[in-house]
Amino acid sequence: MAQTMDPNNMPILSEASVSVEIETEDMTLNIGPQHPSTHGVLRLVAKINGEKISSVEPVLGYMHRGYEKLAEVRTYPQVTTLVNRIDWVSGFANEIPFIAGAEKLMEIEVPERAQYIRLILTEMARISSHFVFNGAFPLEIGALTPIFLAMEDRERVLDLLESVTGGRFHPNFNRIGGVKPAAGAGPTTKKDIQDLPAGFYHDTKVAMQKVLEAVDRFEDLIGGNEVFQIRTKNVGVLPKEVAEEYGVSGPILRASGVEFDLRKQSNYLPYDKFDFEIPIGENGDCFDRWSVRTSEMRESAKIILQAIEDMPSGPIQAKVPKVIKVPKGQTYVRAENPKGEMGYYIISEGGLGPYRLKIRTASFSNISILPIMLEGALLPDLIAIMGSLDFVLGDVDR
Amino acid sequence: MNQSDQNEFVNSIQSKFQNSSVEFDTLKIEVDSQSWVDTHKTLKAEFDLKFFNWLSAVDWDNDVKIGDAPKEPVTPSFEIISCLSKTNSDDLVISSTKISKEDPQIDSLVEVFGGANWHEREAYEMFGINFLNHPNLKKLYLPDAYEGNPLLKSFELISREVKPWPGEVDVEGMPEDNIVVSEEGS
Repeated sequence: MAQTMDPNNMPILSEASVSVEIETEDMTLNIGPQHPSTHGVLRLVAKINGEKISSVEPVLGYMHRGYEKLAEVRTYPQVTTLVNRIDWVSGFANEIPFIAGAEKLMEIEVPERAQYIRLILTEMARISSHFVFNGAFPLEIGALTPIFLAMEDRERVLDLLESVTGGRFHPNFNRIGGVKPAAGAGPTTKKDIQDLPAGFYHDTKVAMQKVLEAVDRFEDLIGGNEVFQIRTKNVGVLPKEVAEEYGVSGPILRASGVEFDLRKQSNYLPYDKFDFEIPIGENGDCFDRWSVRTSEMRESAKIILQAIEDMPSGPIQAKVPKVIKVPKGQTYVRAENPKGEMGYYIISEGGLGPYRLKIRTASFSNISILPIMLEGALLPDLIAIMGSLDFVLGDVDR
Repeated sequence: MNQSDQNEFVNSIQSKFQNSSVEFDTLKIEVDSQSWVDTHKTLKAEFDLKFFNWLSAVDWDNDVKIGDAPKEPVTPSFEIISCLSKTNSDDLVISSTKISKEDPQIDSLVEVFGGANWHEREAYEMFGINFLNHPNLKKLYLPDAYEGNPLLKSFELISREVKPWPGEVDVEGMPEDNIVVSEEGS
């Protein structure tokens, strides 16, 4: 039989089956809220036509804790405890824009050493967040091995974060005007103060070397895997115009070819002192989103290694009043978090707490494009597309 | 960030919109609620502000059930705030408009920015603001049967009814102070 078949004249199966038209009805498939690939409690109501998705409606609110209301009944130092828990995979990074906003309204100049410590720990939070992504994303599309490697590698970074802040996930380390000193270190405004644990520089150098090795290994193990490439290349392509209209930010926007990173464009932390690249993608597909994040880990490790080389000495806390009162005013301060742009619009009426705090989170805008990206996609690609967006439900629902 | 570029952008916005201010590095323009959609069309087309960042609202009221009331009396109103930015520089604009509390409604921005969809649904459930011509104006986070608008200043927080304002009870006293407190309490 094989000899008689001419490859240029094969019968086309789809044409052969068109002769009978069957009336079909879309089926409703409920995914979540307790589905492993939804990173928490996201629920999707999908209408599917065979393997094809005709429409998707995300249902939110299972993790809604009302932080914007809770912030109105808390003092400014108390709000930092709340914001740690917004994106719990990179808790430290959430504190930075809020603290920077309060400092801007109070017109406080933060000492350089405190800014460096903030910068180093933010980049560590970024690395640990991207490690989780590098474990979870392949896991969702069927590769079991990377999660074990990623969790082990992440632990080294979390150990460092813990050695400085005392917390692995919710450090609550930033203070208005500076950072928290080591326990029992005395007054925070004196010239030199014990802030970093002994051996921190050495441990960091070793850990960052391990991160660089891990990135090489992931690029080989995950990126070089043919099955991974087939599942992610040209899947879930996001044009940059759509991304901009929907406020999609961070690595997803950069994977679509937009070179926008607040670490370069803005000046909320002294990133201009360091030499690092902004990885961008070409096609805006799932593979590019993976590759941008993985390359970012390498750049973050480079920033940390440079920062501990020229760490300035000096105080870690500016002079602030005992009772924090923020003068009347409004400001919007934003930062480049691991998942994208995070910002706080603070409206202060001169009280102990904010009159209104609008929290702009990255994942909320990032997953608002799900209905557009998933329309017409195949059902198995739904998991790949959702995984590549790397969202955290605490960051969506607040 | 280039300082002169930034100033040029601020100047061009301020020459177009009379009611604008720069407070704590944040450029804010105040417009009439009738021209809310047109303002965003102008900002998108003429000023290259294509990145829809966020939209939210503020409940301005003197009668505040929990938290601090404004120090100076304010006219009760809803303020709608949106933020547009660029993807090639740090420039951003906060647009604001005020609408009455008796009949809170405003035109939807969805036709200009698709990304406004979820943000307006959130403002609808949290403040009860009606966005006209919105394609799918229903609750985003809260259950369908939920009554009330949680971010209104008149909305009480039940936990604060049970436990007073944290500023008063948060600071831990010395052990001997605690004895005094417990005696008073018993």
